[in-house]
Amino acid sequence: MTVFHFFNCAILTFGPHAVYYSATPLSEYDTLWTSIKAAVVYLITALVKLVCLATFLNVSESESDNFDPYQELLKALFGFIEVAGLYFALTQLTHRNISQNHKFQAVGLGWAFADSVLHRLVPLWFGARGLEFTWDYILQGLEANANLVFSISLAALGSLMWLRKNKPKTLIPIIYACAGIVATMPTITSYLRRGLGWYLPKVVGFELFSSLLIAFISWQLFVACQRPSN
Amino acid sequence: MANSFRKPAILDPMYYPIIVLLIALIACVELSDAVTAVDVYRLVQYDISGVPFGSRLATLNHHAGSSFFVSGSSSDLSRTVLILPVRELNLTLITEYIEQKKLIGGLLLLLPPKFRPENTGSTFGADEDIDSLRNILVELEWLLTHSNIPYPVYFAFEDDNIKAVLAEVKRNDASGQPATATTGGYKLVVAASDPKRIVSPNIANIQGWLPGLKVDGDSNQLPTIAIVASYDTFGAAPALSVGSDSNGSGVVALLEIARLFSALYSNPKTRGRYNLLFGLTSGGPYNYNGTQKWLRSFDQRLRESIDYAICLNSVGSLGNQLHLHVSKPPENAYIQQIFQGFSTVAEELGLQVGLKHKKINISNPRVAWEHEQFSRLRVTAATLSELSTAPELLESTGGLTDNRHFTSEASIVRSIKLVAEKTHLQPGKKSISIFADDSSLAVNPSYIRSWLELLSTTPRVAPFLSKNDPLIKALEKELADHTAEVNVQHETLDGTFTFYDSTSGKLHIYQVASVTFDLLLLLVLGSYLITLFSFLFITTRGLDDLISLFRRPSSRKIQKLILVAGFLSHKIMSSKHRCRGSVLLDFFSNNQ
Repeated sequence: MTVFHFFNCAILTFGPHAVYYSATPLSEYDTLWTSIKAAVVYLITALVKLVCLATFLNVSESESDNFDPYQELLKALFGFIEVAGLYFALTQLTHRNISQNHKFQAVGLGWAFADSVLHRLVPLWFGARGLEFTWDYILQGLEANANLVFSISLAALGSLMWLRKNKPKTLIPIIYACAGIVATMPTITSYLRRGLGWYLPKVVGFELFSSLLIAFISWQLFVACQRPSN
Repeated sequence: MANSFRKPAILDPMYYPIIVLLIALIACVELSDAVTAVDVYRLVQYDISGVPFGSRLATLNHHAGSSFFVSGSSSDLSRTVLILPVRELNLTLITEYIEQKKLIGGLLLLLPPKFRPENTGSTFGADEDIDSLRNILVELEWLLTHSNIPYPVYFAFEDDNIKAVLAEVKRNDASGQPATATTGGYKLVVAASDPKRIVSPNIANIQGWLPGLKVDGDSNQLPTIAIVASYDTFGAAPALSVGSDSNGSGVVALLEIARLFSALYSNPKTRGRYNLLFGLTSGGPYNYNGTQKWLRSFDQRLRESIDYAICLNSVGSLGNQLHLHVSKPPENAYIQQIFQGFSTVAEELGLQVGLKHKKINISNPRVAWEHEQFSRLRVTAATLSELSTAPELLESTGGLTDNRHFTSEASIVRSIKLVAEKTHLQPGKKSISIFADDSSLAVNPSYIRSWLELLSTTPRVAPFLSKNDPLIKALEKELADHTAEVNVQHETLDGTFTFYDSTSGKLHIYQVASVTFDLLLLLVLGSYLITLFSFLFITTRGLDDLISLFRRPSSRKIQKLILVAGFLSHKIMSSKHRCRGSVLLDFFSNNQ
């Protein structure tokens, strides 16, 4: 019964990644290798980020309760290490036979999947198989879905920023602003949770809503940038 | 140069443990804060000559229930743990259940927090129920320890967590939906291994010797007075059997008497003309088995030099009446002399001491009083106790109800004065009140309080005390401080009693979801994923592709399957199993 629950939560956490891969043309163009490469880059980035956090952040017992602006600012700064990693994955890795459209999707997918495996699999394995029932793991799965949307949006924005040369000048600040918002999303949610004392369901709801909003905006931006080239 | 390049590389591995720790921490935090854990104490499990008694199981993993009557259709309790607060316990119902051997998944009995041994500070106040509650507990304890119960029985103390759980379980039960695997609710889990038999349970007797002043000749010719108290306990929950009165009060009295006499004997002018032998014996609840073994180990000269022995048993409860239990007829000159001494001192202290005579039946293995072990070896002895009648086997041995709140320091002080004065009283002389309150040899109430507090928080069921248990060491050290010579004698408890371990554990209370909830969740998730798939497919490839996905049989896969099957059947056909292979081929070709 509890293994059943673990199974459910795992479906919710990792299912959308698989569905995204198989439903979109990604599967037809065989972009799995690109996703795997992106995942590896994510793992390295995460390691670097953890080392930086461990070096510069004081971990205190009471830290989890209150929102420390200085520490959070530092965390947000380290959050941009991820952006650098994504930059590397999008521009430096060689991707053969893939159009730009599919490339950012594959990279974003691999990125989000690696994030889910790294941050959610272990707690899920230890927690959801336990006898105690909590909504936490279902919420965590929903969070993984929001994160998938965020990752793909960020990759889309990144590909607009770094790979597309002839984009309309008026859109450039909007692209950068959106990318900035997506990159600082962990800090924003952490502020909501600790600074404002929101409960987890509310935070997850906010994440889902904002992820859809960002996805819509970045889609519109992508379409708008595509127009002159067509 | 090479060194300076390598330095940053050395730093990196230092962080791996931190990362691993972080991950482990996340996992642990998620695990522990969702679960309620309660300390529970298992009902004793023991055999007398191979006949099993007590709770025979330790592992618990069942749903919670709150009453014997389940309002649902199934009245089967074999997969339900009943949580029963002792305050509201229906004793006749539980007796019926246990005597008819109806199967229950388990029993969790909630004791009021006032019965917690650590809870020595607070007093009971004007609680009228406490006496009836105590009677119920005594009866329950007798019932549980004298029945063979084929399921785990645990004791726990009421607290806010468990009360909240119980309230919710009651609400569930009242709504007609008893908690089972399909409806969710609470699950109670005690992860314990099977109880193991304790091989050769150890009992330790501690003996202290205080020599008297020898005038001329050998000191062995001086008479010896023995003061004895049994220190171990027995109760329904071995981890809760602290026995403040039975026989913590006796032990405290003995230690204080030893302290007083060591002060008295330190000066040759006040040193008495008799030796003192202090004995803290074990195995008291089991027919004074330890006392028997201790006495057997004496050499002839010592045994013959004992003038008389005073055994202290339950001397700390409120009341003015003490009883001197003897097994020789009261007309006996020695008994008369001892009793006269006690009455003289008691009169001055405002106490009443009555003489009770109970004959020994040698053929009966039951030894009700500690002095009977002395009497069986023809040593004059008496037991001083507030109990007026001889207890049954395993009765009044320091069970659940015997704690600090029902033991009075003043009574212990009075008993100490009585015994100390009587011991120092010369035959035929008047009492001289040598241990008067304001003298240098006054009874020390804080000493009594600290020892009583220690004993009231230390469970002392002999089979569960190890050879080097801190308590035994502490008693030995205390006697060594006050006497000239201390010996600890380690013996094995008689084979008639067998004990089993795992006396306490941790109960985890989980709130569990039902299977139907998970099924529903699976349905919701499935439809979510299908919707997501369709949405993505339609937006990226178009509706027609999606429809054609279902219409067109994915011929490539089937062809592949047939190819593999054909290859396999060919293989099989070429081997010995010809018929089975051909059937397989027929099957596949038909399908084609």
